[in-house]
Amino acid sequence: MATVECSGLRKCYGSHEVIRDFNLSIADHEFVVFLGPSGCGKSTLLRMIAGLEDITGGDLLIGGTRVNDNDPGERGIAMVFQNYALYPHMSVRQNITFALERAGDSKERIAKRLAPVVESLGLDVYLDRKPTELSGGQQQRVAIARAMIKTPEVFLFDEPLSNLDAKLRGHLRVEIARLHKTLKSTSIYVTHDQLEAMTLADRIVLMYQGRIEQMGTPEEIYSRPATLFAAGFIGTPNMNFITFTVQEGRLRDGTLDLPAPEGVTGHVTLGIRPGAVEVLDAPAHDAIPAVVERDEFHGETRLVALTCGVQGLMAAIPAARKLHEGQNLFIRFPSQSLHYFNTDTGRRL
Amino acid sequence: MRLGRSLPVVFLGPALMVLIILAAVPTLYAFNISLQNRTLSAPDADYIWFANYLAMFSDDRFLNALWVSLKWEVLTVSATMIVSMGLAIAMFEAASPRWRKVLSILFIIPVLLPRVCAAFVWKFSFHPLYGAVTWPARAITGDTPDILSSPAGAMFAVAFVDVWQWGLFFAVIILKLLEALPPQPLEAARIDRAKRWEIHAYITLPMLKLPLISLLLVKAIESLRSFDLVYVMTRGGPGVATETLDMYAYSQGFIEAGNISYASGMAVVMLVLTVVMFTVIWKRLNQ
Repeated sequence: MATVECSGLRKCYGSHEVIRDFNLSIADHEFVVFLGPSGCGKSTLLRMIAGLEDITGGDLLIGGTRVNDNDPGERGIAMVFQNYALYPHMSVRQNITFALERAGDSKERIAKRLAPVVESLGLDVYLDRKPTELSGGQQQRVAIARAMIKTPEVFLFDEPLSNLDAKLRGHLRVEIARLHKTLKSTSIYVTHDQLEAMTLADRIVLMYQGRIEQMGTPEEIYSRPATLFAAGFIGTPNMNFITFTVQEGRLRDGTLDLPAPEGVTGHVTLGIRPGAVEVLDAPAHDAIPAVVERDEFHGETRLVALTCGVQGLMAAIPAARKLHEGQNLFIRFPSQSLHYFNTDTGRRL
Repeated sequence: MRLGRSLPVVFLGPALMVLIILAAVPTLYAFNISLQNRTLSAPDADYIWFANYLAMFSDDRFLNALWVSLKWEVLTVSATMIVSMGLAIAMFEAASPRWRKVLSILFIIPVLLPRVCAAFVWKFSFHPLYGAVTWPARAITGDTPDILSSPAGAMFAVAFVDVWQWGLFFAVIILKLLEALPPQPLEAARIDRAKRWEIHAYITLPMLKLPLISLLLVKAIESLRSFDLVYVMTRGGPGVATETLDMYAYSQGFIEAGNISYASGMAVVMLVLTVVMFTVIWKRLNQ
């Protein structure tokens, strides 16, 4: 069990800086998810923590010790890879026990440690098979078992579920959450899938272009996105954005007329999640007229594209409520669900 | 339907015809001759059936040639594989991509040389008075070491040239195979506390088992055809120390006795031994 501390971590490929001044401290037992679009540097960062990529600058501390120059094997970590990275010529048993054999453990000790790990992941019957004879989900279970048996201080997951189909992904996600509960080891999990991040994380580190965009619990990031990027990246369906120029303390575009945050001038982007848009059949106080453009059935909900004056926006309504294209109705924005951002800096106001 | 049946024949027919003319005819002819007592000095010959074959087993020089051939196979094949794997791993671990390219080109050059040329170059390098290889020994001790005139020295020197040509070439192939491996299992092994050499011993080389076996067999077949190398460098000497089976057959047939039938018999024996041994080895290794 250990803490992980990154202070001023940098990574350059030649003169190209992909990660600059990355600061993060991860508490013992914490489950941290690095979330971001591809190319944001999250995998590079994980590989730097694992020791598979050199650290250009800054300090990396695991369990209070500086490990910048330690080999991957000496950092007390275990890693699960996106494409499983099993040793193809070895049986499942050999794959799992390889690290213990390298460390020189006795046969009895290895057998004793193997049993509970294999049992907890349901791999008993596959021990003598080769990885190619297993399905993707089973292979990833073997990879997780291989990581678990080392009883690492820090677990690293590099998009472990991305190669699996949706149903299996859900299964294994639950399994990883359960394992984290029982093992309680510090975990760092890299993904581009916000659902995985939201469901697994104690804390999400949202990354964009090599920087931390926002850091916080899933609820915090969802309910108070700190930047336009965070607001747009988290949440399905995507948040609606409407850009205004502040005029006399109001946000106006002809149809819409909303109060601007105090003391703000220039361009403002207003964000509202589709689920927060109130859709009314009859005029009401503060409601504005809108026309139904398109109606998408999503099962539980219905996603409706609306035109409201010159703006287009999406609203999520219960699926039971039927609307038809071209229908006139009214919408209202509850003031507590409005997010204001400075359009130029992208910062929350 | 009839077209579907005849199509394989259309495609395979010409190739099979060429193969039959080029391979089967000489083979059968050699077998036919080996049953006679034909020599280069006499115009006619009689069938003596298997007398040539029986004679071989009481011919010490034939048995020696058989033994030398076996030694030659084992020595050159194992040395080539060890040297090539060692060099490939060394390049993979230590050389930058640019150096790998440079070394790869350098390592391919020897095999591009016709073997006779390579043999002449090295024969001269091993020359006791003028050779580049023997120069340090001459300069330091004043002796003139004649490597090719001692039985073991000659064997190792010829094998060295063979490995120089093929070991370096195979090193390039194995390097490319290593580079083509997926990197993640190697990274996983590093995290699993495997040392550098352990990664290769337990992960990369076992992952390359099948291509390595193919290379081994290619080299084994290639080693059988080393007549030109031996012929130029030692002519089977000193004495019969490097006289492989094909070398001895050539001597019997064309240099010494002109005993064509006896030489053909040896060629047939060699063919049968090769086919049997390679079939066994191939089946074994592919299990």
